Amino acid sequence: MSTAAVKPTNRTTVDEVAARYPDVPRLLVIKTDVQRRGVFYSEAALALLDESLHQTTGTHIFGTRDGIIALRPESLLLRDGTSIITTPTPLEENPYLVDVKDGAPWLFDDGLPLEAVDYWPAPDFYSKTSSSGVPMKNIVSARPQRLNIFPYRYCTFWNNNKGCSFCDIVAQLKKGGKELNIPAKLDPREVGEVVGEALKEPGRFSAVFLTSGSIVSGQTPFDDEIDYYIQILQEAGKHFKTRKFPSQIIGTAFTKQQLQRLYNETGLMSYTADIEVLNEAQFDHLCPGKAEWIGYREWKKRLVDAVDVFGPGRVNTGLVAGIELTRPYGFTSEDEALESTLAEAEDLARQGVSTVFIVWSPRPDTPLGDQKNASLDYYIRLARGLHALRVKYRLPIGFDDYRHCGNHPDSDLSRLLPY
Amino acid sequence: MSLLSPQAIELINDRCVTKVVATLDEQGTPYAVVSTFLQLGEGGNLVHLELLEKSASNRNLLRSLWFDKKISVTLYAASGQSYVIAGRPVKAHISGPVFRHYYQQVRSTTTDGDLSTVWLIEPEEVTDETYITRKQLEEEQFPFTVHLDRLTV
Repeated sequence: MSTAAVKPTNRTTVDEVAARYPDVPRLLVIKTDVQRRGVFYSEAALALLDESLHQTTGTHIFGTRDGIIALRPESLLLRDGTSIITTPTPLEENPYLVDVKDGAPWLFDDGLPLEAVDYWPAPDFYSKTSSSGVPMKNIVSARPQRLNIFPYRYCTFWNNNKGCSFCDIVAQLKKGGKELNIPAKLDPREVGEVVGEALKEPGRFSAVFLTSGSIVSGQTPFDDEIDYYIQILQEAGKHFKTRKFPSQIIGTAFTKQQLQRLYNETGLMSYTADIEVLNEAQFDHLCPGKAEWIGYREWKKRLVDAVDVFGPGRVNTGLVAGIELTRPYGFTSEDEALESTLAEAEDLARQGVSTVFIVWSPRPDTPLGDQKNASLDYYIRLARGLHALRVKYRLPIGFDDYRHCGNHPDSDLSRLLPY
Repeated sequence: MSLLSPQAIELINDRCVTKVVATLDEQGTPYAVVSTFLQLGEGGNLVHLELLEKSASNRNLLRSLWFDKKISVTLYAASGQSYVIAGRPVKAHISGPVFRHYYQQVRSTTTDGDLSTVWLIEPEEVTDETYITRKQLEEEQFPFTVHLDRLTV
């Protein structure tokens, strides 16, 4: 091991939490805690990074916890095939260390080796450029089994400063635009060209994924966002022999009419509209743009409407878990936050809408950037609770599972379900 | 050093040998399936290819990896030679060069087949279950289990 071990602390350890919840695999506890605390790459670990073999950071729509854009592993794979989507974090915040053991990258905590990890493999198309001369990885990026399209790296909720309090999409655009030469808005035909190239790689991809910032403009609000998604999905769809192809969009909460267009005019098979926090008052404060243009109750209604269009088990919403506990609007106890969140999630689940969460990672260029996320115990309880709702209401989550996303500890648990 | 004897390895490499992977579900109910693609991987591990994501075996293998439970692999040749290998799934590949290698193998040998997961299984114990071998051992070690009519003149 080449980097000095970080100082031991009094925090609850992975093993303590794993022992408390014997129904939750230790690997999932590790993944969740790594997402919670972030990682720091040692020099030796970075020396193992090979751009011709591994995916490196730089293409993502959101920023990092240490605010630095540099060549680092995009993310990690655990030996159960699950991804840890995590972000480089300064050492003083006590992240996990990725260092080298027996010539391979390993996760370390308190100086002890925890688990071997793999860097995400680079897809074949990452070494190619589009017909207009842009590196293809700046147009479409990849997860281990998913093609990521971030067509529009701006969110118009920020026009009047009403972006979500945890989000750094605009700050990242400013950095990424300058430092990485990533186009702010993609040309649908160029996206189609890259998708076609990516699909030549055998066995690499099992889903096409699309997300961008909200676009409020149009004849009715968000029509322009819908039109743009349709153009891109139609270009991507030209490469498939089936009318529908495994795909997911994370978009704004659209009207039923807009959703019908999205479904009927493209190969899209699933739909996600992230409500971010399952509490109306907190939603109003933390997601003021979403509150202004749509509102909490309407957001929920549109999610339920989407089930009529896409079908049960094909619609979900995402939470940025931990923001419900932030000052000054959040819950003051984790028990209270959990009870309230799961009650709201159940209201959606009984109507066919699944809820998944990501572990909130406080980023420096955001209003909530100076606050801490929740305890490991809280995140594990939340994962169990959301998974239990999927069992109770028999909701499949195959479109947003470990294979297609990898960022939701709760949907990792659903890997064991027969549906 | 691999636990597998040259004879066991020969059976693994023989495509005509029947190979069965047995796993346990959440209630402890055994579930055994023929593994058409079972083969020897690097470092003495067995490679089992799960073609279907939601198959009972795939979920049971994941449960074994997550909660550190054993599984077993049975090899049976037409000659009667047989081995039972107990082991643990230690890694699931769903992406990367290893996955791609086996994905292409499946695609080239099946009709429009797909591959969910490449499972690496670490052998921990190998038992020679060839009937002739087991019978000889049993008669030596447990002479009182023999039916007497077999011993009559």
